[in-house]
Amino acid sequence: MTPLLDIAGLTLDYRTRSGTVRVLDNVSLSVAPGEVLGIVGESGAGKSSLAMAIMGRLAGNARLTGGTIRLGTDDLAAQTARAMRRIRGRRIGMVFQNPATSLNPTLTLGRQIVEVLVRHRGLTAGAAWREAASWLERVELRHAAELMRRYPHEASGGEKQRVAIASAFAPQPELVLFDEPTTALDVITGARVLDLFRRLRAETGVAGLYISHDLGLVARVADRVAVMQRGRIIESELPRRIFAMPAQDYTRRLVDAVPRPQNRLVQDEPASAELLCAEAISVSYGRRRLFRSRSAKGISGLGFSIREGEILGVVGESGSGKSTLARALAGLVARSGEIRLEGVPVTRMGRDYRRAVQIVFQHPDSSLNPRQRVCDLLARPLCLYGGSTGDIPDLLRQVNLPPEYASRWPHQLSGGEKQRVAIARAFAARPRLVICDEITASLDASVQAVTIALLLELRRRYGTAYLFITHDLNLVRQIAHRLLVMRHGTLVDQIAIGTLGTGREHEYTRQLMAASPTPVGEETRT
Amino acid sequence: MSPAWLLRRLLLMAYTLLVVSILVFAITQILPADAAVTMLGQDATPAALAALRAKLGLADPVWLQFWHWFSAVLRGDFGISMRTGLPVGPTMLTALSRSLLLAVCSLSLMLVIAIPLGVLAALRQGRALDLAVGLISYLGISLPEFVTATLVLVVLADRLQWLPATGYVPPSEHLLDGIRHLVAPVLTVSLVLIAHVSRMMRSETIDVLASDYVLAADLKGLAPPTVLLRHVMRNALLPVISVVALDVGYLLGGIIVVEEIFAIPGIGRALLVAIQNRDLPAIQAGALIMAATYAVVNLLADIAYAVLDPRLRYG
Amino acid sequence: MVEVTRRLLRTPQGALGAAVLAVVALVCLFGPLIAPYDPEQMDFLGRFAVPGAHHWLGADQLGRDEMSRLLYGARATVPPALLATLAGTLAGAIVGTLAAFAGGRWDEAIMRTIDAVMAIPGLLIALLVASTLGAGEGGALLAIAIAFAPGMARITRSVALAVRQEDYVAAAIARGETGLRIVFAEMLPNALAPVVVESTIRVAFAVMLMATLSFLGVGAQPPASEWGLMVSDGRGYLHDAPWLVIVPGLAIGITAIGFNLLGDGLRDALNPRGER
Repeated sequence: MTPLLDIAGLTLDYRTRSGTVRVLDNVSLSVAPGEVLGIVGESGAGKSSLAMAIMGRLAGNARLTGGTIRLGTDDLAAQTARAMRRIRGRRIGMVFQNPATSLNPTLTLGRQIVEVLVRHRGLTAGAAWREAASWLERVELRHAAELMRRYPHEASGGEKQRVAIASAFAPQPELVLFDEPTTALDVITGARVLDLFRRLRAETGVAGLYISHDLGLVARVADRVAVMQRGRIIESELPRRIFAMPAQDYTRRLVDAVPRPQNRLVQDEPASAELLCAEAISVSYGRRRLFRSRSAKGISGLGFSIREGEILGVVGESGSGKSTLARALAGLVARSGEIRLEGVPVTRMGRDYRRAVQIVFQHPDSSLNPRQRVCDLLARPLCLYGGSTGDIPDLLRQVNLPPEYASRWPHQLSGGEKQRVAIARAFAARPRLVICDEITASLDASVQAVTIALLLELRRRYGTAYLFITHDLNLVRQIAHRLLVMRHGTLVDQIAIGTLGTGREHEYTRQLMAASPTPVGEETRT
Repeated sequence: MSPAWLLRRLLLMAYTLLVVSILVFAITQILPADAAVTMLGQDATPAALAALRAKLGLADPVWLQFWHWFSAVLRGDFGISMRTGLPVGPTMLTALSRSLLLAVCSLSLMLVIAIPLGVLAALRQGRALDLAVGLISYLGISLPEFVTATLVLVVLADRLQWLPATGYVPPSEHLLDGIRHLVAPVLTVSLVLIAHVSRMMRSETIDVLASDYVLAADLKGLAPPTVLLRHVMRNALLPVISVVALDVGYLLGGIIVVEEIFAIPGIGRALLVAIQNRDLPAIQAGALIMAATYAVVNLLADIAYAVLDPRLRYG
Repeated sequence: MVEVTRRLLRTPQGALGAAVLAVVALVCLFGPLIAPYDPEQMDFLGRFAVPGAHHWLGADQLGRDEMSRLLYGARATVPPALLATLAGTLAGAIVGTLAAFAGGRWDEAIMRTIDAVMAIPGLLIALLVASTLGAGEGGALLAIAIAFAPGMARITRSVALAVRQEDYVAAAIARGETGLRIVFAEMLPNALAPVVVESTIRVAFAVMLMATLSFLGVGAQPPASEWGLMVSDGRGYLHDAPWLVIVPGLAIGITAIGFNLLGDGLRDALNPRGER
């Protein structure tokens, strides 16, 4: 069968001040009609550049230096800008990562589908409106007529992404590009959007190019998976085979980095001594409009305990109050309820408590002061808690950073390196408990695996307990001893990891588990 | 736009005017001026001065004087000019109407020029047109009105003889002549505004052009004019509305200078004359009316913003 | 500091602004030394001398040498403008920081009052204050400082609030730093940059305001050599001696451009996450 999309030898350069950078290097791939090709790669692999090259919308400093892109019999690279605008949207649809930013905030949701129908199918405004409403029903949105008149900020993330999908499918394209369409969504919402995608695909027979950093996810939706690394496609295989026998080392690392619950990284059981106990912890954000609190939601009546050296996982969707809990334990927000450290009630957050309980934040860009060098960042906790600046090289070595990094500024480090500095800063105080608030959420899968390994190594050395907050159930099932499940600011489940899947978990926990599938071909072992 | 929001906004405006009244009254109290001397002249007899002071209530405590003045203002009575002996309120309002003509013309000219200029500069970022617009806007924000006005006079009125030098002809009396007299002051006032707003429009447009939703609109294959008008301009214009409203404050200040130079009998010139003559009631009325104008414009801008930006509509 | 200067000079605006301001600074420092004449020396035979060999920039209606007046005039305009901006920035920064830290009702009350004050055009505030203090340079300086303070308070407050939200401040609280240390070591270095940029741009404004006040007769008084005053003096002779308004007018404009460019350059140079 002739391929629908056929890319051969595509090479793309960006001209920058420091020279030419090759972002796509001799990329060849093809997508048959009705086929879905998954493209996996970490940040900087060239996935987005590939999508933009297909769409014919490259940055001004980009140069296509070789290769062809064919859609059916048409050479896309040879199209005029004008002709290309009749292909975009009409023959190739696209769904973006973040529906919160990819929809125009000042247009109603309805108009954003209608404008595509008017443009590409030549419908009148009235006919387009009716057609758009029926598309909203096809993407399983209730109250379609009402939703048409709403603005993006009045809809949930899942609803917005469905609208975006409707506007990509409505002109009946031959091919749809998906650029990480579930990454910005909550786990359960994302899983339902994926179900929708499968159904639409079956109904319309559309071909797809599904781009993601998540190998486990891509393997579930794609017929074939291509792995990209530094602008090259290094391997292209059936999903099952990629997992079973990856041909390349890099693919092997990616496969290994996919969190699998059955692959426990922590074997020991924590000591029985209770380290910290929290009772009836509540935080409420009143109307403090001036100090706009971030989207953190209040929490109420949380009670749990952490033992010495225990890893206590906390999962929940965005807005469930996970971060608020972290901030309450770190003494960053006013709370009610009692906290006991080794049986002693903590009335005010004094030195002893601050020393024992440290926190690492999600975004190292924000948590490392951009105007302090790494040595200054590490020197403060050392000074406060009886260390000396002579310990800085050791501290850096502990987190596998060369001691020369002491003189660097945060912006000279990669994301993973920054997070390791933040971890070093937390460990400078020799804490008993470290609160990890989504610390790997902004990192690539392979960097995440390395960071997790580092945390476990530090725990082996110091016996530190972790409160490990994440949205990734599979990840936390690899390392935690017990799990707290949060929803709408309350604790719905508190369960030992070993008990998961035995039917004793809460209904909501079961939904989360169902929405976090394990890699293809390995389901049976769950 | 909920009623509660509107009510809060109106209360804020009332508070603004109260603060301005107190401030203006306080400053005029400190002004080294003796109202009685100003009205009767230097060679008035001490007895006559004392009698007038008593009549004006100048011996009363300051807060009582403020209350007398403020309650009169609330009834629309701004007092009698110490210089001309005429009621200040009507004089100032007539002057305001002439200034508003100048302000509205300048604002319109600014909008017509600055918005397209800013958008074009953003679309041609880094190219010759962008640099030219940048240069002009640097000049515009760096030349004070009195310099621009003088340069406009040198070139357009003196060298080229295209325009009358100074003076004011009400367009209602003689349309063509009135317009000819307005050209130079409008050009002067709008230059600064054009510079400022086009810079703002340029940076807003650049931000919006880099947004995901404009990329998405483009990748939906929409026609370029649709993308530009419906997706780019619609969003880039929003923040510019509030900047223009704030610029009205600057414009009102600029009007003082421009009216003085072009001899336009507007509120700016009336204020300047009042300040030079220590005509306290006139200063109070003029300053208050200017602040009220600014407050009303900002209220309107806030309402416009709320109507145009759906995210704020229920705020 | 050295680092910031290096980065500043690498931005096109910064380099150009610094060059312009270097010339202005030299004129302020050494202007009187290089001036060919006494700026107040009248010469009735040389009235309205056309720019040429004798008077490079011509002479005014009293025969005073325009070049000399320009060189002397820099001192009357630029240093007071700098001082006024500094005073206004300090006063505003204190009020803005207090409002940000007080929070709640105090913050609300302070900010609403500042909004209200800003309803009076800056030039009008300056005019009123300058006339209460009596005409003169000192009065004009204070008037500009007072006119600037509300705007600077507003900016400082919003910067302080934004910095307070950063996680590195949370991290400092969580490790038990004292309040003073958090303010001075963590927040201030990050809050300073936007305030410095804004006040640099405001110096341009202050130069213009200073000259405007003199032009309107409430700043420097005749026979002083002040740029705004020079434009005012020359206005009567537009037809015969246009250089009398063009020369000082351009001097004001060029100085203001210098500060505007420098401010824009600083904005790029002070961004810690910027490329290097």
